[in-house]
Amino acid sequence: MVATSAVHPLLAWSSTEAVPVPEKDGLILRSFRFLDLEMPAEYFNSWITPVPHFFVRNHMHEPSTLDPVAWRLNIGGEVERPITLSLDELRKFESHNVTNTLECAGNGRAFQKPHVPGVQWQRGAVGTARFAGPRMRDVLMRAAVKGSGKHVMFRGLDEVPGKVPPFIRSIPIEKAMDEDTLIATQMNGAALTRHHGFPARALVPGWIGAASCKWLTEIKVLDKEFEGNFMNPGYRLPNRPVQPGEVVKPEDTHPLTALNVKSVIAAPSDGATLKPHTVLVQGAAWAGEADIVRVEVSTDSGATWQTTQMGSEQSRFAWRLWSYQWKPLKSGDYVIMSRATDNQGRTQSATAAWNPSGYLYNAIDQVKVHVS
Amino acid sequence: MCRNGFWFVMLCIALLIFSCSPLFSGESVSSPELPPGPMQAKANTACSECHDTGIIVQQRLNKASWTKEVDKMVRWGAVVDPKDHDALIDYLTANFGPAKPDYEAPRTRREKPKK
Repeated sequence: MVATSAVHPLLAWSSTEAVPVPEKDGLILRSFRFLDLEMPAEYFNSWITPVPHFFVRNHMHEPSTLDPVAWRLNIGGEVERPITLSLDELRKFESHNVTNTLECAGNGRAFQKPHVPGVQWQRGAVGTARFAGPRMRDVLMRAAVKGSGKHVMFRGLDEVPGKVPPFIRSIPIEKAMDEDTLIATQMNGAALTRHHGFPARALVPGWIGAASCKWLTEIKVLDKEFEGNFMNPGYRLPNRPVQPGEVVKPEDTHPLTALNVKSVIAAPSDGATLKPHTVLVQGAAWAGEADIVRVEVSTDSGATWQTTQMGSEQSRFAWRLWSYQWKPLKSGDYVIMSRATDNQGRTQSATAAWNPSGYLYNAIDQVKVHVS
Repeated sequence: MCRNGFWFVMLCIALLIFSCSPLFSGESVSSPELPPGPMQAKANTACSECHDTGIIVQQRLNKASWTKEVDKMVRWGAVVDPKDHDALIDYLTANFGPAKPDYEAPRTRREKPKK
């Protein structure tokens, strides 16, 4: 049973009812306040994820007001010439396009055993979009970064409740100056929507979604990594493999950066009953800053593996779609698995490395189906 | 005049009720009901100041993890009377522990943005 506040019992929703959310259709509601929406697995069948199906991860309240005329972006810190840009001034910089697979670091957390706290994402805290906007390095170069500038901090306009630490993180200067790191103002050919950071967001391709700060309003060049909750202890991995459930000291961890190699099965869906004809097994695979070189499928619980057909659409930081025509020989229960390999030699394994916050889960994906 | 005053007051009351409505505030809506128990009301009060209950009911944590979470939230502003601290953790562990079945989240449907 899902209900609204006690003041409005007539407005109650049951868990079977769809919850109205502006711009968003058919997503899994992980949290309403703060808004966290997951894309169901069946939407992995499109190389570009339509905005209504694109996942949302908010750590705080979305800004209560977003006035594009009043909006300003301040660039300061370890720079020779601190600058302030309006949206019109930002748009005068040359625009660059990056098709990027954006994934929340906690995607797949729900599959970690023992369970870990946080939004219980399963497969779909990930999506691929065409982002466009000025290169971050062009803006930083106008401000003239000093030699002392080693990290770049982003602050958004999201609103912080209580004594919650603000959602502020930083990335190394080298990644900020990468030719594909953007101050994105567009997504899939239109202005960013409110849920995705209107009017401007950082876009740090190939890295965890938390690096790509939404509702960007301040870029500050620092002489060291930003020190705040969402850099430490948040968004860190153990320096060594740990046992499930093991307590890890903050000093034995490092910050998350690029995404893992990973694949997800879009179809058939888990629990499906199939007819004994040819079945199209399909999905998506991505590897952060690396390239997917192969996706294999097993239809016999991992005993044997077959290479899949890769989709023709590709871009440096974007996922690849894949498919495999499977002809089940007899009726029965089957476990279908997918396994991706990238050009760094990384391959998904049967179990993901456990860590206390369930980050970068990337075990071999699997669905159970029945052929009758 | 008196009649106008009456309707003015009624209008103010109606506006107040409407403005408190989740549908009006844009927070339309979905917050799963916490299960009955001695700490139900206090969990609602302490937690819902910052976030809805959806994030609570999807967790499947043991007592040590719930303790860590509650203590973090107290540091972040959740008001929990020290005499309720242990009972609140017991309530959360009993209702949202590792052995509980998975929470089934609802889906969204598109709502036209307000102009």
